Amino acid sequence: MNSPTDLTSIRSAPIILDIRQLTKTYQGVTALENATLQVRKGEIHALLGGNGAGKSTLIGILSGVTQPDSGEFLVDGSELAPRNPRDAIKSGITTIYQELSLVPALTTLENIFLGREIIIERSGVKILLNRKKMKKEVIELAQVFGISKDELEIPISEFGALKKKVIEIVKALTFDTRILILDEPTSGLEEEERLHLFDHMRSLRGRGVGLIWVTHHLDELHGLADVATILRDGRTLKSLDLKKSTVEEITNLMFGIHSNEAGLTTKSNSSRTNEKIKKTEVLSLHEVCRASVLRDISFNLHAGEIIGISGLTGAGRTELARVIMGIDNRTAGTIFLKGKEVKFNSSASAYKAGIAMLPEDRKQLGIISGLSVAENISISNLQSVSKFGFIIRRKKERELAIKYKEILSIRTPSVNQKINNLSGGSQQKAIVARCLNSNPSVLIIDEPTQGVDVATKKEVHELIRDFISKGGAAIVIASEIQELLELSHKVLVLRKGSIVGKIENIQESTTKSRVAEIKGEVLALSAGNRIKNEI
Amino acid sequence: MRFKNYFFRSVSITGVPIFGLLIFTVAIFQFVVPIFNGTVADYITNLVPVLLLTVGAAIVIIGGSIDLSIGTVCGLSAGITMWTLASGLPAALSILLGVATGAFFGLLNGFLIAKLRVNDFIATLATLNISGGLLIVLSQATELYGAESEFFTSLVYGRFLGIPTSFFIAGVLILLMQFLLLKTILGRRIFAMGNSGAAANVAGINIRNVKLATFILSGTLAGCAGVLLASRLGGVQAFLGLGYEFTAIAGAVVGGVSLAGGRGSPAAALAGGLFIGTLTQGLQLIGVEPVFFGIVSGLALIIGVIFDQKIQDIGQLRSRFDSRVLAQPPRRQGDRG
Repeated sequence: MNSPTDLTSIRSAPIILDIRQLTKTYQGVTALENATLQVRKGEIHALLGGNGAGKSTLIGILSGVTQPDSGEFLVDGSELAPRNPRDAIKSGITTIYQELSLVPALTTLENIFLGREIIIERSGVKILLNRKKMKKEVIELAQVFGISKDELEIPISEFGALKKKVIEIVKALTFDTRILILDEPTSGLEEEERLHLFDHMRSLRGRGVGLIWVTHHLDELHGLADVATILRDGRTLKSLDLKKSTVEEITNLMFGIHSNEAGLTTKSNSSRTNEKIKKTEVLSLHEVCRASVLRDISFNLHAGEIIGISGLTGAGRTELARVIMGIDNRTAGTIFLKGKEVKFNSSASAYKAGIAMLPEDRKQLGIISGLSVAENISISNLQSVSKFGFIIRRKKERELAIKYKEILSIRTPSVNQKINNLSGGSQQKAIVARCLNSNPSVLIIDEPTQGVDVATKKEVHELIRDFISKGGAAIVIASEIQELLELSHKVLVLRKGSIVGKIENIQESTTKSRVAEIKGEVLALSAGNRIKNEI
Repeated sequence: MRFKNYFFRSVSITGVPIFGLLIFTVAIFQFVVPIFNGTVADYITNLVPVLLLTVGAAIVIIGGSIDLSIGTVCGLSAGITMWTLASGLPAALSILLGVATGAFFGLLNGFLIAKLRVNDFIATLATLNISGGLLIVLSQATELYGAESEFFTSLVYGRFLGIPTSFFIAGVLILLMQFLLLKTILGRRIFAMGNSGAAANVAGINIRNVKLATFILSGTLAGCAGVLLASRLGGVQAFLGLGYEFTAIAGAVVGGVSLAGGRGSPAAALAGGLFIGTLTQGLQLIGVEPVFFGIVSGLALIIGVIFDQKIQDIGQLRSRFDSRVLAQPPRRQGDRG
């Protein structure tokens, strides 16, 4: 351990969480096998692994959602076996999930004290919430994390994604949390919001909290996390000192392959050359508006081209996609598809005309939970599996699903499985299959790789490129600028519903420094000049 | 283990538990009152209109909405049929008008809910009152009667191959609905919409049209039920049909049609309707006073739903169980997992 002093001090800090040989089996399949890891006081401990490596099971056990078959874990030296999440929280382990668990209609203060309110009693009768006392108790801590006194009285629904995360952190700290588990905390956050969150994570570390950080974004690790433990096939492969390891090394351990195979590099062997863009316009927008959310959007999309859409949440990215699809109405402007003006009154007519969309929120808008994988794939083009135009042929539907299952390597034992039982990556691929099955000429993809691991991300990117090389055109919306640059020929930057910038001629040969430059440019454009100064 | 798996799997299929319960109830009553045999045709004849309403309610509920107007729309359809017959229209035309009345109210409900985005509960509560009110006006708060068409009476009391005609009519309609929901594109879209309207909307389904279709179907079935009801009763009273909607919805729910939408089938709803019907009918046969029927069917609803919920919980547990397994990669060393 001849690393810098701060790490040495952490290394000598006491162990607060000691996981010993946890094993969990589900119906003969091992989800977790002798998982062992140690988290020290004031340490940011990254927990890494592909989809299905056992991260969720491990977190489930720590937070009391599931119980292990064998093994144990110790908090501050004493054994703990939480039977439910309440038990775990009482013992100082709090988990912040990707899906926020705050009540939107209640205020920040009410959310922080939900379930353990301080109450005024008059002659033994509980009558009122003691807001004053609750405020007093939390105000200092809140201000450390940038929540003002006024914001304590504002309903949660008024806040953005970052603020909500921070409120959950404050809530956890008022519970005397010693171990905080963050499950993909940066998902849904903008680039500069991520940086703010990282600052908060550092200050949590300073307070001596042991952080377990689950993430798919390996590029975020260095400079923040102290130690990384890699899970594969349910086993804890190795705990690495991040000061002495590279992203390549980590990817190698996670997937048992080399990183350039896992798609971490911007280079690709596929056809992203601008010569391949045909001159034929497929989709063109002329001054499209929608009330106050979109203003004068105009652009042309050609066959073989990918246009990236960048911007902060609320800039109108998803709204633009919905307007093109006819899910929301436009208030002005015209849209041409292959030279003909189109007016869609629902996504059904958009699909018929050859535009398909992969929506942003997979759980709410993507999968139709309750239906099987096969039914989810065929739903947008039921004609393709029907006879006489209205009777569904289940056999044909199943064959179609099996075909896509093989091509896209969707991991499911049977296409008759309900789609909600699949892993996130496989669900995403099933929705890609649904889009492709409608034979679109334009594909609109909103956050193509949300919550999927690096290997799946690469596969999804390949699918998009493959679609393009066959003459299709695509619009890709993503928060991650890196992802946009890897995929698209041209990036449009949206702010407050207008296009505020264009970056053209993105080439494979673009150098690293140029990429960084472009990133800065996009960030500045999408935020106006305000944030630029902050960064 | 294998048997257990098989048992859990089949029992968690919607409708299977209620079919079991139905057979069990029939067997019990059969054991207690053997006369059940002779009256079985009568008993189903009485039930036919409500069973049609139950199937209609199920279709709307599977699509993620609710239709409260079916009871009074059924009554109004009966009234219109009776009124036109009594004023001398040919039976075929009267029947058509009765069915059309139901279809019209279905269209009206669908238009209000799907196109004008009125809340389904409120919209159908309003049309419940409108159709109920129209029947009162039409009947001048007394009774409509005076049909003298043999053909019309034969709809219910006629026999074909020794089986009441209304069985055939209802049977064909219910089979058609079962086929429509489980085998056709429209049916698949109804299920998709009921499971997740927002996702279906993005996936290329015109949910406004699909929703409209579910209400037209339920309205039309209510119209058919009204015609059969008029034929059986021979006279239509001012408040006919009021309250049938709850029996119908209860039947559908007991049959495993989830009020959350997207789960169930017409056949399962039919079993639920038959279960509640059998219970009422059976109690009557063993000499329970009719004043207690409301209490009994209320209790049956609660017990049926709890029973279904428990069974579903087991099914859910199984599938959650399966999903954990699925989330794990096949064990292949050195593979990307």
